[in-house]
Amino acid sequence: MSFREKTAWVTLLAIIAVTLLYWAHVPKFIEPQHGVWVLHAMLASLVAYVVIELVAWIVLRQRHPRDARTPADERERLIDLKAIRIAYYVFATGALGGVFVALHLTRGGPTGVGMAVFLAFVLSQMVKHATRIVFFRRGA
Amino acid sequence: MPPTAVTNSIRQLRFQHGEMTQQELGERVGVTRQTINAIEAGKYSPSLEVAFRMAEIFGVRVDEVFHYGNAPQPGKDGVP
Repeated sequence: MSFREKTAWVTLLAIIAVTLLYWAHVPKFIEPQHGVWVLHAMLASLVAYVVIELVAWIVLRQRHPRDARTPADERERLIDLKAIRIAYYVFATGALGGVFVALHLTRGGPTGVGMAVFLAFVLSQMVKHATRIVFFRRGA
Repeated sequence: MPPTAVTNSIRQLRFQHGEMTQQELGERVGVTRQTINAIEAGKYSPSLEVAFRMAEIFGVRVDEVFHYGNAPQPGKDGVP
C-alpha cells in the first residue's frame, strides 16, 4: 500500500469517526433555538478531526519518513483531481438537495440549512477519500 | 477504468538492465513504485516527460519502450 493510500485511509476513518460522534449527539439540538449548540458541535467536530489527522500524520511520517518527503507524482496528482471532481458533484448536489429538504420538508430553518450544508461537505470529503482509495487500488 | 491501448516493454527492459527493480526505476524517473507498476500493467499511460525519461534511463528510443495498439514494434516483425 502506498503512503498516499495510507493517508487516504487515515483521513477517511477520521472523518467517519468524527461524523459518527457528531450525529450521535447533534440530532437532539435540531430545533432552531439550539442553533448555537449545533454550531459549537460543528466546530468541536472540526477541531477533533484536525487533531486526529495531525496525530495520524505524525505517526505515518515517523514510520515512513522517506515516502512522506517524496512529493506526489503525476499519477497521484491525477487521482487527486479525479477524486476532487467527483466530490464536487456530491457536495453541490448534497448541499442543494439538503437545503431544499431543510427549508421545505422539515422546516429546519437556518439551523437545518447549516446542518444540511455541513453534512454535504462531510459526505463529499468521504467520497473524495474513498474515491482516492479505489483509484489507488485499481492503479489509476 | 479500461486498460490503455498503449503497451510497453518496461518489464523486459528492466531485466535487461541488471534486473532493475520497480523501486529503483521509480526513483530514477521520479515517480513512485506503484506508478511504475501501474504503467507496466497498462493501467496508466504516463506523460511524455516520464516516457522520455524512461527511454533515456534504458538508453533506447521511446517507441522501443511504449507501443500503441497494433503498431509494429521496433526490433520485432522485421522493423529496424
